[in-house]
Amino acid sequence: MSRATAVATSGLAVLGAVALVLGERSNTAPQIRSNPIDPGAAVRAARRMNRAAGIIAASVLADSAVEHYRGSFHNKAMVAPLVTSLLSLAVSIHGHTDKRPVAHWVRDTVYAAAALTGLAGTGFHIFNVTKKPGGFSWQNLFYQAPIGAPAALTLSGAMGFLAERVRDTPPGTSPTIAGLPAGPAVALATSLGLMGTVGEAGLLHFRGAYHDPFMYLPVTVPPLAAALIGAAAIGQTHRRRPWTRFWLRATAVLGFAGSGFHAIGIARNMGGWRNWTQNLLNGPPLPAPPSFTGLALVGLAALGLMEDHPDD
Amino acid sequence: MTERYPGYDVLSKRWSASWNAQTRRVIDARLAVPREPRFFSAAEWRTLNAVCDRIMPQPTDRPAVPLAAYVDQKMAEDLQDGYRYAELPPQGEAWQRGLQALDAEALEAHGDRFDTLAPTVQDALLTLMQQGSMTGAAWAGMPPKLFFAHRILPDITHAYYAHPISWNEIGFGGPASPRGYVRMGLDRRDPWEAVEAKPGDEAAARRKNQNVR
Repeated sequence: MSRATAVATSGLAVLGAVALVLGERSNTAPQIRSNPIDPGAAVRAARRMNRAAGIIAASVLADSAVEHYRGSFHNKAMVAPLVTSLLSLAVSIHGHTDKRPVAHWVRDTVYAAAALTGLAGTGFHIFNVTKKPGGFSWQNLFYQAPIGAPAALTLSGAMGFLAERVRDTPPGTSPTIAGLPAGPAVALATSLGLMGTVGEAGLLHFRGAYHDPFMYLPVTVPPLAAALIGAAAIGQTHRRRPWTRFWLRATAVLGFAGSGFHAIGIARNMGGWRNWTQNLLNGPPLPAPPSFTGLALVGLAALGLMEDHPDD
Repeated sequence: MTERYPGYDVLSKRWSASWNAQTRRVIDARLAVPREPRFFSAAEWRTLNAVCDRIMPQPTDRPAVPLAAYVDQKMAEDLQDGYRYAELPPQGEAWQRGLQALDAEALEAHGDRFDTLAPTVQDALLTLMQQGSMTGAAWAGMPPKLFFAHRILPDITHAYYAHPISWNEIGFGGPASPRGYVRMGLDRRDPWEAVEAKPGDEAAARRKNQNVR
């Protein structure tokens, strides 16, 4: 590892850690309570999830803007993720500032639209791969529209939508989602979302032949976090889970560090950052990795929910 | 001749992100090729220029690509192809012998040097060479047909398409270094690529081509 790499990496790790600390700033230390239920807990968890949904939305906004610009907006529908992720980002900021314990119909509508746009995008991308000569081949999975990318928009919308369900909790009751306890439900969604994102990173890093050892990080750290938060979802709720928390935090830091690594990857292309009009499009996707950060923050919110509502 | 890529000038990329110092050095060297022969004799040079004019006739409303100068440079600097037909001598020797033999054939058949003959007469002689029907002693065992197909044609046409003027003509982007291409699909265009004019759409193509950097 070169000195520049080391400096950039540690710098980004610090940035990520600062972001995490700021994210935790308004929280009391997680405590195991049995009774009474903390009336602010649901809103606190919901706002954490709003922030996480916002980070994923920002990642999708920048990533789809770059990649669809590269695709010359050949299909008019290619502006859809830009619009919905921008709206998702806006309502996430609104949700972060909103401390009322009721869902907001605009946030709900935008989050649902973002989730559905992501699903439609996944359909489009799959269709694009199938209509290329060779259909579902490694070649097309590597070089055609990435199948996993629109799912990040779905995750932003879905996590935001879940945030509204968590927020919409009458005082004195525990948050539920479709009748299920919210903590485990969100934890399960986080685990699945992380798995999918790992699949996308794994496919594209395999395409890149893992030419840099750090390219193994997103296929080692987040899967561990996904397994732990998944186990938390189906396990007992009244338990402290320091390791789950640790690996989720590591995943969150990794999301930011990933952008730093990708920036180094761009610098390594011919002409480096001076040739950014080429290399931003041609090099590793700069804005993609923070999706991991967003998902990890959702997982941390889920852990908080389970610790705040241990009797669910 | 209507322009296929109206308003496109590959040299306008000179100071853009498409080129760097190395690209500029290479193109500058190519544009500054000496216009006087370093390898060929004065007589061979005259014949070579006449051959180039017949193989690759050029429009008169723009500067000509210095074809003979590029062929001379290739011989003078011994820039080889990496392979050659065993029946042909090394490239420089082949060119010298071929040009001298062509001149000898012109003198024999028409009583004059090749470069002073009328274009149609020159074409007839080149056709004879292409068909392998020349038998003069000056060929000294080198097959005229092979010389035509594997020295005259490639060396002159490659020289033609090594010049920015012909790149503009065919809409070629020039050296893809340091900036390359990112939109690889069929019929997709990077903003720094030339726009081909569709009938009735020349004005739009010209406008876009003037923004190519």
